[in-house]
Amino acid sequence: MLDPRLILFFAAVLFSAGVYGVLSRRHLIMLLMSLELMLNAINIMLVTFSRYWAGRSAGLVGAHSGQFFTLMVMAVAAAEVGIGLAIIVAIYRRKHTADADAMTDLKN
Amino acid sequence: MGLLFLASAAVALIGTVLLITQKNAVYALLGLLIAFGASAGVFLSLDAPFIAVSQILIYAGALAVMFLFVLMFTDTRTEEDTGLPAAVGARPDFDPKAFGNKKKKKKKVDEPSNLLAGIVLPKPMAVVVSLSMLVCISFAIIKLPVSYSNFGELPTVESAQVAAGESKPNYDTGLTYRVYEGNSFEEVPRHVKFGSTEAVSFTIFEGFPLAFEVVSLLIFAAVLGAVLLARRHLTGIPGTQDVVQELDKEQDHA
Repeated sequence: MLDPRLILFFAAVLFSAGVYGVLSRRHLIMLLMSLELMLNAINIMLVTFSRYWAGRSAGLVGAHSGQFFTLMVMAVAAAEVGIGLAIIVAIYRRKHTADADAMTDLKN
Repeated sequence: MGLLFLASAAVALIGTVLLITQKNAVYALLGLLIAFGASAGVFLSLDAPFIAVSQILIYAGALAVMFLFVLMFTDTRTEEDTGLPAAVGARPDFDPKAFGNKKKKKKKVDEPSNLLAGIVLPKPMAVVVSLSMLVCISFAIIKLPVSYSNFGELPTVESAQVAAGESKPNYDTGLTYRVYEGNSFEEVPRHVKFGSTEAVSFTIFEGFPLAFEVVSLLIFAAVLGAVLLARRHLTGIPGTQDVVQELDKEQDHA
């Protein structure tokens, strides 16, 4: 039988990799991609807890609420990427670059 | 179950490494795609087939294509690639070939398909921060109660409708459906399996209908916002205002 903590640790590794990607990359699209990886790691954690509570005699709605939250996170992630990419396209039209270090309009 | 998880997790980690190390944004997107697809395998190993299919449809299908389109629209070079300050690189007439980093370009032409050639060097502070975050989360996982050492068996309900050789359903929805038998309708209880589409939809519409409706509003607003932000700006049409152009004008005056 699989250990839930192993899956949680795997999700934590994915999350940290996403954090590393957000911190180390400078291109705006790469930042968004790493953000998606972090959301995906959280989804894995939610589904793990969902399966855990299903094995602890939670009711039908209770056991599936983790999967429901995962669907909500997917919807929010899709909305976020849609808006984020639109913002990146608008920024690129204006500044002709998508480098995060070039976004210094609010400096000084 | 265990083997499926281990295989998927290994593939997902390979994809993640590809994502965070590749300089070429398309290769990085490929890594993200691999990680998402392998995550669907992890969901399958956790008895969540509906989530697994949604993952492939939404993340690997829709999001990846959207990323690819925007990668096509934008210049993926950053300051490191061009070796010039961002302000110079931001000029529309900027041509990196004129600034003598031909060595790097040549290298890419020589080994276009070699993934090892396009690795970004790790940033020390980012490594420190993400590793310390991993340590913190791992500490929380280690501190979980002992009951988290196994998943436990799924509950089962006795059901007359199960064919021979099929596994028993896990939950009784409390609903019934009608079966025409002989000359009359018979009420049959609705039993569902854990993680099936039926069970998830029952959870959505019996457990969280308001959240479901609100998230549809959110997506509607996001679609409108994305269209408004990214559309080609129309000029000269009375009654319309071009925000980006107005901002540009202000910058020119300053």
